[in-house]
Amino acid sequence: MLGKDQRKFRAIPWVLAAVLAVCFAGFAQNAFAKEAFAESVFAEEAFAKEVGAQEAEVAEGEGEPEVEWSQDVFYKDFEGNPLKGIVSGYPAPELGDSDYNNYDFAPSRMLLWMANQQHLYFGSFVLAVPIFCMMIEFIGVRTKESDPVLSAKYDKLAHDLMKVSLTAYSWTAILGGILLFTFITLFPGFFKYMAGIFRPVMHVYALMFLAESGVLYVYYYGWDKMGADPFLKWVHVSLSVLLNLIGTVLMYLANSWATFMQAPGGIDEQGRFLGNIWHVIHSTLWNPVGVHRILGNIVFGGGIVGAYAAYHYLSAKNDEEKAHYDWMCYVAMFIAIFGLIPLPFAGYWLMKEVYAFRQQMGITLMGGIMAWLFIIQAVMIGLLFFGANSYLHNSMARVKGAHRYMKYCKYMVLLLIVCFTMWMTPHTIVMTPAELKAMGGAQHPVVGHFGVMSAKNTAVNLMITCTILCFLLYQKANKKITVPWQTVGNCWIAAIFVFAACNIVFLGVYGYFLPANQRVGLSVPQVTSTLTTLFAGMAINISMFKDSESYGDIQWGTLSNVGCYAIFLLAISFTWLMGLMGYIRSAVRLFWHVTEVVRDNSPDAYTLTIGEAGKMLTFNTLFVWVQFIVVFWVGSLTGKKKVAEARSPEGVPVPAQQQ
Amino acid sequence: MLPEQQDILWTFLSLIFTVFSVIVFIIVVQNCRERDDVDSKKWGAIFGVFVIANFLCTKHMLTLTQGGQLAFIWWQVLVIFVELLVWGVFCKGDKIESQSPPLIRAAFFWVVIGLLLAGYTNWLPQQRSDPPPKGGAAISADLTMEDFTEMGRIIVFGAKQVAGQKSIGKGQCPLCHTFEPGNNIGRCPNLFGVEERSHTRIKEERYLNLPMKIGEKEPATGVVKGVRDGVDAAYQRGGSDDLVGEDYLRESLMCPSCYVVTGFGKAGDTKSPMPVISKPPISLSPIELNAVIAWLQSKDTPGEFSKVTVPLPSAEASAPAEDSGGDDEEAPIFVTGEEDVPTMINTLGCPLCHTIPGVEGAVGELGPALHEKTNAPNRIKDSRYEGKATNTKEYVRESILCPGCYVVMNEEEGELFPDGVMPGDFANKLSVKAIDKLVDFIANTEAPPAG
Repeated sequence: MLGKDQRKFRAIPWVLAAVLAVCFAGFAQNAFAKEAFAESVFAEEAFAKEVGAQEAEVAEGEGEPEVEWSQDVFYKDFEGNPLKGIVSGYPAPELGDSDYNNYDFAPSRMLLWMANQQHLYFGSFVLAVPIFCMMIEFIGVRTKESDPVLSAKYDKLAHDLMKVSLTAYSWTAILGGILLFTFITLFPGFFKYMAGIFRPVMHVYALMFLAESGVLYVYYYGWDKMGADPFLKWVHVSLSVLLNLIGTVLMYLANSWATFMQAPGGIDEQGRFLGNIWHVIHSTLWNPVGVHRILGNIVFGGGIVGAYAAYHYLSAKNDEEKAHYDWMCYVAMFIAIFGLIPLPFAGYWLMKEVYAFRQQMGITLMGGIMAWLFIIQAVMIGLLFFGANSYLHNSMARVKGAHRYMKYCKYMVLLLIVCFTMWMTPHTIVMTPAELKAMGGAQHPVVGHFGVMSAKNTAVNLMITCTILCFLLYQKANKKITVPWQTVGNCWIAAIFVFAACNIVFLGVYGYFLPANQRVGLSVPQVTSTLTTLFAGMAINISMFKDSESYGDIQWGTLSNVGCYAIFLLAISFTWLMGLMGYIRSAVRLFWHVTEVVRDNSPDAYTLTIGEAGKMLTFNTLFVWVQFIVVFWVGSLTGKKKVAEARSPEGVPVPAQQQ
Repeated sequence: MLPEQQDILWTFLSLIFTVFSVIVFIIVVQNCRERDDVDSKKWGAIFGVFVIANFLCTKHMLTLTQGGQLAFIWWQVLVIFVELLVWGVFCKGDKIESQSPPLIRAAFFWVVIGLLLAGYTNWLPQQRSDPPPKGGAAISADLTMEDFTEMGRIIVFGAKQVAGQKSIGKGQCPLCHTFEPGNNIGRCPNLFGVEERSHTRIKEERYLNLPMKIGEKEPATGVVKGVRDGVDAAYQRGGSDDLVGEDYLRESLMCPSCYVVTGFGKAGDTKSPMPVISKPPISLSPIELNAVIAWLQSKDTPGEFSKVTVPLPSAEASAPAEDSGGDDEEAPIFVTGEEDVPTMINTLGCPLCHTIPGVEGAVGELGPALHEKTNAPNRIKDSRYEGKATNTKEYVRESILCPGCYVVMNEEEGELFPDGVMPGDFANKLSVKAIDKLVDFIANTEAPPAG
């Protein structure tokens, strides 16, 4: 039974892999695209110059005003000289007191942050859920012939998710309206400039929103009608693809405003628009931010759906409901973690582009005033690993045969605690002179050694390696290995992990004896060791499953409460982390609305202390979850049907064990 | 948040607490209605009181500002804890199972994790970064070269410092550059000895030809390389047309790609990653840029300004100080030597850590007592002493300018006084006259007679 179901579930990783492949294609294409783009820009520009010059001549003859040319702040031609364009807009305003409004009870900047963050959270959710629904519905359609019952279950899950998303969609639009009004009322001068530059983009955005709404309503309300006929069902699945395409375009259009503010292009030093709207949209950070956000949305959406399922699991009234939501937790977590793995690579790409745009902006992020925020990010990632491991440990408890490995869990938890403590140890903290004296300097003589990157890199790599090991054990949990080379295979896996751990620790210690600029290079072999355990370890592990026997089915509905709280921890960590990274990306502009072009002359132009930012992030996190609860509750009012009508999903396949 | 405004998190939490008490009230009422053996009126009244108490707390919170809210929120937290306790008594006493719905437990978990994260961020070093003032620096008529180089230092490092934090000023230079010998973070060249290098660099073959020849225009900035008048008119120096070290420093700031130090550039060391300092986002005015050059020329010889070639700006040349926004900026500490000794010592903050005979209120204990007339000769003879001083005055001068050169033993504790606590930048806070005056005074301090 399990084996049969496993085959059906194989589609999930393939679909996820396809999604990731599209994202990675974005990475690879970008390099080529940039070159090709530069060529086309150059040709376009040469042509424009010629035409412009001719027009200018003609205009001169007719007594018309001359065309003014100016240099782009970002785009360059083949020779590395700033690209020139025809001035087509007004200079950026020097904002004064009359360009800012405020309320007495809170700074305008905080109100805008709140409005923006809430809209972004909901935007992420409503963009992520259609991606899930697309994948789940697709799997449902593909499994219809072989297992109609399971197919119906997938279909229902997708439908339920869309129901929740539909309410959230309206909510997102309302929050978007609030954001718009906040901009217009509190930052009118700045918004006027942005509207002047992005006028056509904003209209296209509004039209795309209309298209998104139309497709969404047809997709949701046509679910039952189009589900009966196989052809119409495929049309319905295609609608989900269209929905996601429109959603992605919407997100990219909105991203262009933020990326323009951070790293502008298509304007001159005075902020005057140079006539090419594509240059303004396609500024240097547009692509990496887009990819990063798609992956982030998937992770965040997975976290929300996981928490939703975990909550319903905790409040389930019967075993069937418990089994259903237990399975739903697993699917959501699987999708979230799958999105999480490539997320750092998209982050690296984004940072690379930031450094390429302005090195000092990158250094402000990684080594300047924002550096502490990246330490906090590290702590959050540590929390994610804790949550993921805890969930896996608790999930193993419901897998027959897992008792063989459960005894190792406590050692893994111990390692995680040690590494996590090491990771969150700050290099320096605020001290009084007396404390400084008592400690003998700014750094503690012993603990201070754990505050540097050598220790932190070692800690995080060990945490990831530990998580990978945990996942391999989870895969093996209910397998009775029968291949003749199982001893050799196990020895290889053990050797790979031991060697990787030793190498990571050795390089970490070695780093203390190297200068800082050389030490940075050690992170590459450390990460390589970690990735080796992932790929080599998993390859050997999966190979050993050939002809394996099963110890028994997974007991869905028996997940411990701790496992549910681990999902809650993941969800809150995702939410807080998303807010944190958004703040970092935005705050790195320092005292500029648009970097180097429109200066922020408001009273709130300072960069917050970490503590102030942390409080705001916690507020935003708690506030958005209050809203999610309301939205889920409203969604549930449309009719509470019993879940899992079909059957007890004991045979629901497990992606991790499908091999 | 400004102090006179409300704290958004505490306000929100207060509201949440009130909502929580209402939910608990509803749950208790439901429990009471489901069972006949429970005293509905009693429990309803008790939990009703909690609702009212929380409502009043929240109402009061809304009237407070940030500081008051932080102090008062704990009272509401106390109310909530008491309520939880009473709720436990209610459930336990009346044997009510499944006391709290998952929503409450999950919300509690959510709030605790969220507050722990907020607490962690408040535990870390706090540094607020204010925007640099608009417009150029204001110059007074009695500006000295010490003041001017100090202005340059503040542009580089900023006036405010937080314990354990690298300080970065408007110029943002320390993000990439280092300034002490041997300290190299590898991002950009170490600027120790840059004044000396500036004179030799302009004669090097590589400078003359790479990445462009002298006299060529750098396209991105429009600066003509190696020519005194090659920069914007407002930034040009006066005097002879000969290329001098000052021109190299100015050119490096205004046209980083005119010459790229080997190993620190992009595209085969032909492009510098450094921003143009006279343009956004840094946008130093001509006077500010000159101040940085003056500091670069004098920083390796503390108290000695003979190598500074940029002229002092006149008050008339200063940009109008409109909207300088610098009201809240700390004035840099600097003593000229015109003050009397106690004033100098108090200005420099010595009494915070040192006991200094003859200076009223100087009874600090973090650092050693300054009885140098008797102590200095012994310390020079100490086997741990590796400094260059041969007499008391030299020792005192060395201790002021280089506090880490010799760390004094704390006899009472039986261990060394902590190194690194005393600021190492007194060279930038004292004029030559001031340091001489200070050394004369401290070299003659001795412990008061016993009794």
